[in-house]
Amino acid sequence: MKDLLQQADEIPVTLLVALAWATLAVLTKPFGPAEEFGQHLQQFGWLTPGLCADGEPWRLLGYAFLHGGVVHLLLNMSALFTFAPALEKSLGSVRFALLYLVTAVTGGLACCLVDQPGQPVVGGSGALFGMMGAVIAMNMRSGRHVFAFLDFEGPRRLLGWIVVQIALGFFLPMISNAGHIGGLLGGIVLTFLWLRPGDATPALRQWRWATTALAASLLFWSLQPVTRWDAIGRELQGTGDRQRAELLLQAYQRATGRSLTAPDDEPATPRPR
Amino acid sequence: MSSTPPAVRTALRKLPLAIVWLLAAWPLVLWLVHRSDPVAAVELVQQTQASLWSGLGFATAGTLLVCLVIPPAPAWLRRTWHRTWIQLTLDRAPLLRALSELRHFASASRHAEVGRLLRLRGDAAGALQHLDLSLGLDRDVASTWHQLGLVLFPQHEWQRAAVAFQNAEQLDPGHAFGDALLHLGRCQQELGDPAALATLRAHQQRHGGGPRSHVWLADALLRAGDRAGAVAALREAAAPPRLRLTAEENWFRAIARVRLWGKRGTP
Repeated sequence: MKDLLQQADEIPVTLLVALAWATLAVLTKPFGPAEEFGQHLQQFGWLTPGLCADGEPWRLLGYAFLHGGVVHLLLNMSALFTFAPALEKSLGSVRFALLYLVTAVTGGLACCLVDQPGQPVVGGSGALFGMMGAVIAMNMRSGRHVFAFLDFEGPRRLLGWIVVQIALGFFLPMISNAGHIGGLLGGIVLTFLWLRPGDATPALRQWRWATTALAASLLFWSLQPVTRWDAIGRELQGTGDRQRAELLLQAYQRATGRSLTAPDDEPATPRPR
Repeated sequence: MSSTPPAVRTALRKLPLAIVWLLAAWPLVLWLVHRSDPVAAVELVQQTQASLWSGLGFATAGTLLVCLVIPPAPAWLRRTWHRTWIQLTLDRAPLLRALSELRHFASASRHAEVGRLLRLRGDAAGALQHLDLSLGLDRDVASTWHQLGLVLFPQHEWQRAAVAFQNAEQLDPGHAFGDALLHLGRCQQELGDPAALATLRAHQQRHGGGPRSHVWLADALLRAGDRAGAVAALREAAAPPRLRLTAEENWFRAIARVRLWGKRGTP
């Protein structure tokens, strides 16, 4: 702790992130009744694909500062202080802050792409995986060749740790693997393509454009998931055009595999799945 | 060396980028379809998902089947894997060192070294630039001509490659254990030059040969109308090797085997 405070001017973003996590953990009252805790998390920004599509895109970032309990917070905090100080010193504070924010968003976008519309996600682990991805990408970039970093024990252990974490995510129901993988890929791509010294070659520029377009497109999808049942249902409830409502009803039935009957004089109201 | 046309190779290199752009366009396409017909948009997603899964299954089964039925398929996979692995694990330190040395003082040998290393990394344009600069400073280095030929050969620039290999061979007969002579023969063959057969035979006599030189010789013999000679050369190429062949040579052995097998002994 003393060491951390001594190097506070070198790792301001890491300390700010830790402070934000701790403050929000206190504000969400994790020791209170579970229902109240859930309401607080929802109020402060948990991410569900449905809420994000319902006009609350700030949740794509907000969820990365919340935690689902003290154990969750402590685990992520220990990971933060393991990876972040060295990474922030290496990248610089501005770039590190950018890495944190971008990988939190890419983790959130992956959740919106994969998870069920009502499934909530909280935690900074998407951004933590982004940091690990950044470390791997920096090692891949700076070695004699792409896989030269595997000759060293540190990066090899980190890679093994990532593999184990992602494998666990497939078996443990409480872990959002989409967020982890989204954050990891975001960290690798951002570090490989953007956070690098020197002038960009034409090929690098092409890849930068393509991946930026992909990220923008995923953001568009998370806000307008037009073929997902919850978005169709929402549009169905809001539409006044009878012909359009008929089409939307058919689309909803197609998307959910359920048959609904619309009343004669008003658009159908879908039931939650 | 690859026989894939340069245009196809360029297209294959751009394929990953095209896939990323395609993925980026997908939500916008769905949104546009949804604007006019929501049912069609949902059906499009469902059909695409189903097609992707079945496509993946068919691709896996197809690859296994092709590997079993068509002998060059495993050899092609081995060669592709080998080339990819080389690209990924090529040490970049010598190139960085050569580039930094070049910044201090430019000489023909330093440009040639950078050109050679860039060629190994698959940067044909960069390699060509440095090899041209090197030859501008000193035209009497066989290895630079040889490297230039090796850059031009996969681009199917037969005429320029032939000149480069010829210069290498003239400056240093038997350069690179006959590699320049062998490539010269192949370039002449591609250009329709009747001297190809003599060149490839000369290579065979002086340096012996592996599956690649035998297959190329068979092509030249076939063009000259010597079918029996071509079959003999293919048999030589297809013969079981005493030592494990490299991925590149193994590919030519597989080709020879298929050509013998497919046409019942006649290529």
